[in-house]
Amino acid sequence: MLGVTLSRWTMSYFAAALAALLAGEVLMTAGYGFPSAPLRAPETLVVVHVVAIGWLSLLMCGALFQFVPVLIARPLHSNTLPLPALVLLLAGLGALLAGFLQLAGTLDPAPPLLPVAAMLLAGGFALALYDLARTLWPAQPLPLPARFVAVALFFLATTVTLGMLFSFALTTGLGSRPLLAVAGAGLPLHVVAGLGGWLTLAAIGVSYRLLAMFMLAPELEGTRSRAVFWTGTAGLALTVLGGVAALSLDAALAPALIGGSVLGVVALVLYGADIVHLYRARKRRIIELNSQMAVFAFAALAAAAALAVTLIVLGRLSEQVGALVFLIAFGWLTGLGLAKLYKIVAFLTWLECYGPALGRVATPRVQDLVVEARARTWFLLYYLAVASATVALLMAHVLAFRLAAGAMTLATLAIAAELIRARRLVDVSAEIRLPAGAQRPHLLMSVPHPSP
Amino acid sequence: MTQDYLDLDVRPILRDGGEPFEKIMEAVAALAPDQGLRLYATFKPIPLFQVLGRQGFGYAAREIGGGDWEVLFSRADIPAETAPAATPASATPSAAGASDWPAPVQEMDNRELEPPEPMVRILAAIEEMRPGEVLSALLCREPMFLLPELEKRGHAWRGGFEPDGETYKITVRVGETGDKA
Repeated sequence: MLGVTLSRWTMSYFAAALAALLAGEVLMTAGYGFPSAPLRAPETLVVVHVVAIGWLSLLMCGALFQFVPVLIARPLHSNTLPLPALVLLLAGLGALLAGFLQLAGTLDPAPPLLPVAAMLLAGGFALALYDLARTLWPAQPLPLPARFVAVALFFLATTVTLGMLFSFALTTGLGSRPLLAVAGAGLPLHVVAGLGGWLTLAAIGVSYRLLAMFMLAPELEGTRSRAVFWTGTAGLALTVLGGVAALSLDAALAPALIGGSVLGVVALVLYGADIVHLYRARKRRIIELNSQMAVFAFAALAAAAALAVTLIVLGRLSEQVGALVFLIAFGWLTGLGLAKLYKIVAFLTWLECYGPALGRVATPRVQDLVVEARARTWFLLYYLAVASATVALLMAHVLAFRLAAGAMTLATLAIAAELIRARRLVDVSAEIRLPAGAQRPHLLMSVPHPSP
Repeated sequence: MTQDYLDLDVRPILRDGGEPFEKIMEAVAALAPDQGLRLYATFKPIPLFQVLGRQGFGYAAREIGGGDWEVLFSRADIPAETAPAATPASATPSAAGASDWPAPVQEMDNRELEPPEPMVRILAAIEEMRPGEVLSALLCREPMFLLPELEKRGHAWRGGFEPDGETYKITVRVGETGDKA
């Protein structure tokens, strides 16, 4: 069958992801991990992985199960595999956090849980990757947004592989000297592969399509967009793959990192130009909240790039890398994620509920499922809190950071409540909420083929 | 015989990018039994011919300059031009190659509508059509979520991008045993 149906488990991924985001924010507010603890402390690793795997990766996987098919106009290979993948990922994340707590001395160190976590997470991501790769493979040659996603999936595999290497190095040990060298000094590569290669590339690919769709802007596939793809991919490959090669050969890491950063900045500048063009060339003059709030996420990405360059020039990157990673994770990736979730949850819910009844009875519009004026306040609070928290980190002001993290938690809670209201159709006026033929969606999953 | 017409000018609504359909249907509902509707629009409102045809209205349309149209709808004896859309589409078979299908009775240009409005409009129009009738619509992208819905409702469709590479043209033939729940 041609066309795209609802991804069954995407809402489950979104729900788990939001719970993880809230958990991470609560931990930061409580002063758990950086900056109250050192950057490389096990407590910081707990917070970082709750956010990176629990929130960002689950969010991205859930979104890709729905939107890779949209990018290539083909159905998802399997609508079933995402469930066992989710179970493995959640179990793996739980084991990983317990493993970190063993390192921190909070939990008994035997039996070592990090290798178990590595296997579970590798299994979960492998299932997700397999499903998405099998979906993408027959669609070659891929349209540009899907090519970003394909490369992002490669870097997801790289990130997981490096993570597995660390977990074995920290517990059972590694027999090979080159592998030990990579595990010993490869942390920056793991971070770049995860935040840059996996999450940022995928977000860029999906953003090209979603922005064009929601703002009625032209699809960009031109020279500049292709240049974003090639310079971004080359920069990440140079950093991550070149870095791994350098470490395993006992060479210095700096050339790969510097070369990769230069290419990365070029890619981001070109991407910024594309985004400005998309907003300017849009046919829809008044844009919805999701497109408005995405602007702050793009601004955060630009600010992060500027901050990175500044810190490198000043030679202060290593002491301020925490603030930089925070801005990328919460300003750019989380900001864009929440803004797009606000649209996607309402749209998918509308399609699931009213799709079978369309044209037969009066149905609400997608925008009837949300109250943008109310949500806007919380988005603005969120971004304001992220900006404050970033400044607090740069100035090493722990209390200010925790207060800002508290504000982020509050804003996220409110946005999550708005998403649940949309899913529950609470804001749809009662007369048209459930006309004949419509079906009330389940909060946590979708039914791909609703019977009429 | 003289016909009494209610005048409705939807050109300002259209120029503001609005959707006059509801306004038109309200006006039609408010007509006296012997009253007709004189509609001014910025284009030839082909979909309306079909919709009002179902309610027993004939029509006479003429271009009044500047690309604007005046259309007289009447329950009286204006001889309905036969199948208004039979002319344009059959002259230019689409990329979808619907040559063995009858000419569309409805044509839509949904290129300037934000998703999911094109899907909503197409499904609404199809519900008003008879089995075997054909609708054709222009879109600015492939209607990914519409296609499974059409199949589920038992309608046949053909689609593809026009030579400009930007306009997607879909032709839908209403199913003989259309699942009309």
